Amino acid sequence: MRLERFRKKSPWILHYNAGSCNGCDIEILACLAPRYDVERLGILNRGNPKQADILLVTGPVTHRSRDRLVELYTQMAEPKVVVAVGSCTCSGGIFRHMYHVGDGVDQFIPVDSYVAGCAARPEQIIEGVARALEILEHKSHEIERPFQLRGPLYCSGEQTIRRQMAAKVSDETN
Amino acid sequence: MGGVVGWLLILLAPLIGGVLYGMERKLKARMQRRAGPPLMQPFYDFFKLIDKRPMVVHSLHGYLGILHFLGMWLALAVLLSGGDLLMVIFMHLLANSFLIVAAFSVRSVYSQLGGMRQLLAILAYEPIFLLAGVGFYFLSGSFEAKAVFELSSAPLWAMWGIVIAIIIVMPAKLKKSPFDMAEAHQEIIGGAEIEYSGLFYEALYTARWLEYLFAYAFIVLFGGANWLLGLALAAVVFLLVTLVDNATTRLNWQQTVAITLGLSLPLGAINLLLIGIQ
Ligand code: SF4
Repeated sequence: MRLERFRKKSPWILHYNAGSCNGCDIEILACLAPRYDVERLGILNRGNPKQADILLVTGPVTHRSRDRLVELYTQMAEPKVVVAVGSCTCSGGIFRHMYHVGDGVDQFIPVDSYVAGCAARPEQIIEGVARALEILEHKSHEIERPFQLRGPLYCSGEQTIRRQMAAKVSDETN
Repeated sequence: MGGVVGWLLILLAPLIGGVLYGMERKLKARMQRRAGPPLMQPFYDFFKLIDKRPMVVHSLHGYLGILHFLGMWLALAVLLSGGDLLMVIFMHLLANSFLIVAAFSVRSVYSQLGGMRQLLAILAYEPIFLLAGVGFYFLSGSFEAKAVFELSSAPLWAMWGIVIAIIIVMPAKLKKSPFDMAEAHQEIIGGAEIEYSGLFYEALYTARWLEYLFAYAFIVLFGGANWLLGLALAAVVFLLVTLVDNATTRLNWQQTVAITLGLSLPLGAINLLLIGIQ
């Protein structure tokens, strides 16, 4: 039996707000509410990185939140995908080039699907997640790593220890 | 329930439990006027979880999760094969305590908090299940589930108080609102199960299906020989628990313990006294 088939039948979501204005968060919650009801597609909002398959990020990644973002990303078990929801998440949007943000999540972690719009509409978010699911189906179990704030990944025998992966390497990335 | 049917039920328990869990999710969604996930959704989740890259905090933590699942299955097996009710209740308690030990064995605060709350939840529902066991003993003269299944007049009529008490504590048993403090998604994110992932979370996920089946199979006992009545009672409780789950918010642990014990213990005790007098 091909187990990959079931990946897109039960995607569990982790939603993280990396300093967004909350506009897109409300739209994500609207997806879960009865009108759009994404649970009919098997999508659950777990709030637990270890059990999630999709990381839904909103916000341009403020300096305060980037360590947590990378930490959450490294804690997720592969296969995993990242969906950037909202213009400010994709490129910085209205916050672009401000002193306290890092223009978009793709500066820090690999993004699989971008959803534009300020705020992104629920239909767009569902579409973005659907696109990400197609990518998820073809992903391997290879460990995926963040771009910045990357510490070492220890391996001892069969076990990989990713505790240090999200560690701060230096402060130059500001 | 003996013979081939009993063994078949025991072997297929995870399957039946999965369907029951799927039905519950569907019913819950329909009550909120949503379409809800497909009936087979728990099995899709099951296969997806196998496929995830395994991650484990430490090996004992993972094994305790699997022991939790096996203990749950064993408790259900003893119940379905008509074994000793006390054995059933304590086996079930043992299965839960594996999870609690696992919860305390990792450093996550959420996990430890979940472990403590799970202990309080056990305090809330366990006495009633024991009282029910004693009630069955008074009626049938034996602690065997087999003897209860042979009672010609349904224990439901004599044990009305205990039935109501069990309905009251049922949400605490199944981790449903208003007594779902042990799990509390979005607050302590699953509590004891937070550090599990992939294959090991699978064990907990399927153990939950078995827990559903266990709780409702226990209610079928109240029908005695008339198992159709027992099934009907279980269906009513199923509807009621889902309705209450949708309609209420989470209470904190003081309120949970006060309400469950304050209401259900006196009810159960009075009921036992009345049975004793007759
Ligand atoms: S894209 Fe616009 S609405 Fe969405 S979080 Fe960013 S600023 Fe807010």
